[in-house]
Amino acid sequence: MVFSSIPFLFYFLPITLALYFLVPKFLKNLVLLIASLGFYAWGEPRFVVFMAIAIAQGYVLGLLIEKYRDKKPLKNLFTVLSCLISIGLLAYCKYTDFFIENFNALTGLSVKLLGVALPIGISFYTFQILSYTVDVARGSVNAQKNPISLGAYVAMFPQLIAGPIVRYSDIEKQLSDRRCTLEGFSRGTVRFVIGLAKKILIANQLGELINVFKDSSDKSVLFVWLYAVAYAVHIYFDFSGYSDMAIGLGRMLGFDFPENFNYPFISKSATEFWRRWHMTLGSWFRDYVYIPMGGNRVSKPRWYFNILVVWMLTGFWHGADWVFIFWGLFFAVLLVCEKTWYLKKLEKMKVLPHIYKILFVLISFVIFDSSGLLNGFKTVGSMFGLGGLPLISTEAVYQLKSYAVILVLGLLGSTPIVKNAVLKACENKACAAAVNVMEPIAILGLLALCTGYLVDGSFNPFLYFRF
Amino acid sequence: MKNKIRDISVALVFLAWIFGFMIFGMILPDKDVSYSERRKLKTFPEIKRETLLDGSFMSDFEKYSADQFPLRESFRKIKSAGEFYIFRQSDSNGVYIHKGYLSGLEKDLDEESLDYAAGRIRFVYEKFLKDKASAVYLSIVPDKNYFLKDTGVPTLDYDRLVSIMREKDDFAEYIDIFPYLELADYYKTDTHWRIEKIGPAAKALAEGMGTTLAGNYEVKEVSALFYGVYSGQLALGSSDEKMYYITSPDIENATVYNAETGKNQGVYDFERADGQDPYEFYLSGPRSMMVIENKNAETDKELIIIRDSFGSSLAPHLIEAYKKITLLDIRYLPAPLLNRFADFEGRDVLFIYSTLILNSSETLT
Repeated sequence: MVFSSIPFLFYFLPITLALYFLVPKFLKNLVLLIASLGFYAWGEPRFVVFMAIAIAQGYVLGLLIEKYRDKKPLKNLFTVLSCLISIGLLAYCKYTDFFIENFNALTGLSVKLLGVALPIGISFYTFQILSYTVDVARGSVNAQKNPISLGAYVAMFPQLIAGPIVRYSDIEKQLSDRRCTLEGFSRGTVRFVIGLAKKILIANQLGELINVFKDSSDKSVLFVWLYAVAYAVHIYFDFSGYSDMAIGLGRMLGFDFPENFNYPFISKSATEFWRRWHMTLGSWFRDYVYIPMGGNRVSKPRWYFNILVVWMLTGFWHGADWVFIFWGLFFAVLLVCEKTWYLKKLEKMKVLPHIYKILFVLISFVIFDSSGLLNGFKTVGSMFGLGGLPLISTEAVYQLKSYAVILVLGLLGSTPIVKNAVLKACENKACAAAVNVMEPIAILGLLALCTGYLVDGSFNPFLYFRF
Repeated sequence: MKNKIRDISVALVFLAWIFGFMIFGMILPDKDVSYSERRKLKTFPEIKRETLLDGSFMSDFEKYSADQFPLRESFRKIKSAGEFYIFRQSDSNGVYIHKGYLSGLEKDLDEESLDYAAGRIRFVYEKFLKDKASAVYLSIVPDKNYFLKDTGVPTLDYDRLVSIMREKDDFAEYIDIFPYLELADYYKTDTHWRIEKIGPAAKALAEGMGTTLAGNYEVKEVSALFYGVYSGQLALGSSDEKMYYITSPDIENATVYNAETGKNQGVYDFERADGQDPYEFYLSGPRSMMVIENKNAETDKELIIIRDSFGSSLAPHLIEAYKKITLLDIRYLPAPLLNRFADFEGRDVLFIYSTLILNSSETLT
């Protein structure tokens, strides 16, 4: 089930909210767990088994790790076992066919592909369980004694299928003691509706433009650039919109989830971009892979190696395809170059870093969206006139005009300009009062518009489902 | 305190919205048909173990919940208004508006489809016409986009389309009617041309087939307004488009045999003017076979038109010049069996198709 759907908004959510707020406090996690399993099973009933295994092993091994925390060999054994089971499940579901394909390509053999379908959200909940058992081993959190609470943490529907990657330590206390307030519910609602609008009104519409481009027989250099910009804005609004909805739902239910995006498109460098883009994934790799490998407190060659490994894994996490590995390594190279040579210069300059940023963002996402490395390179080449395409085509101009307002809104919404303007206006009492009056009206308007788009069956994929 | 009022308002708006529409949706009876979209609406999917396990129940339920959503038509209008008036998009659901004319984007030439269409026409020719003393003609009706091609809207490559069809069906004499048509000859909210406007094109066709049309007909207004297919797709509301028909003694006295009903009827089907598709007013819309006989004709010439829906408003113009016109639609009749429905010997045979059908010809048999 996706948030931007009629079954979620008009059946699942009202029923879940009613049950959640009607039951006494000690039953809230149970309601959350049951609702979350129902939410998960709606799209993929059979994959609930994978999740149950993941939760069960996390629960049992978490307790054992804590019990033998002082006995290092046993603690390590249980930690490694938990990690192997988690990674094993992920590898089996997500990467087996990739490895078989490459093995076949290398050896000329034809080992049969397993054709395992990818359980939705497995990349996210695997990382959550990994962080839980590792943190229990490190002693930074206590093992959860109540299986329902641990289950509710892993399966929690707001962040189950697309993050943010909420670490157990982030919400350990809230799992047992959280307050649901009117203000929290209201602010959560606003955040949720803004996320919904970002997804339906901007991301989905640009998704249609991207499909139009891919199907078009009237491509041109202008059209390729339009596609590249549209895709970058689309993926940002799609993913950050989903994160907004997750964070908003969390607040409604009394949880504080970590932020996942902080206007990445205003970055001046790839280093800064990754501090602002999918922040919970970046910090997860930093804390559970990069730093344990030695981080930057090692020799230079080893440091380069650490960066390459972390970014290769980051890419590979996004999908079992060389495209994603290349995408990760592309950023690894950029980061190494920046840190070695020009990061400080970029930070001091004004215009050039933004041109640099536009180029690496667009090129990286064009490759990310490609159906193969070669196709990705071809599209990037076409952006710079290497594809033999005309500069302009009728369709490119038509689509540019048709999507101009959405693109401008998208680009504007990718910066903190609007947010800062509202905050600045709210310093004035009269403006603040007007904003307070306008807020419920705006929420109503956005809900009406989003419902209209959902009812008329518009394009509604969700990119991060495949992760 | 002010923030509390705001918070209460926001929470109430949101909860009222999601709970209100949930309850509203449960109470309201399901509808069978969307008249504006001209399609059946999804009904509640059957709950079975298999459909629950393979997820098909869930995907069907999503379609059902969108189709049966309360105030669905109003929400569709909100969406169209959002696309056109808030986001200033050029089209909605693939339909754009230019100077009051609604048209569907049709921009990519499907050469496979053209090959297929040309192949089906050639098949009919080779099976039933090749060795007969029949004159065979081919004509193509441009869709509205043809007249908007210089307005920045991406359109088909019409020259190429015509050239492919002429080349592949070179046995037929091609009659070009493009120069005799303009945008105003089409309904504003529909794909079709207007019967009262296509006199020049009909004359050109008649001349191309070696006959002439006097064109002495009277134009009369149909009492119903015309709601074309695009008005439903756009969901933007009412139409003020008027609908006309042409009449003359030949048309009034002609007998029309509808092979599907097995009954005779008039050239115009007045009951259908108020129906789901008002264009069905002309010769009852998409029918596999219609035979028009003009007993007062001053000629013994007979014409067989192998056609799509554009032929329905063309045929009344041609009645005066033929004793008998047989309209065959190979979207509903099997092409290999056409000789069971018409005798081709010595008849004029006109293949006439719109660019829309030629570019999406999978329905031709």
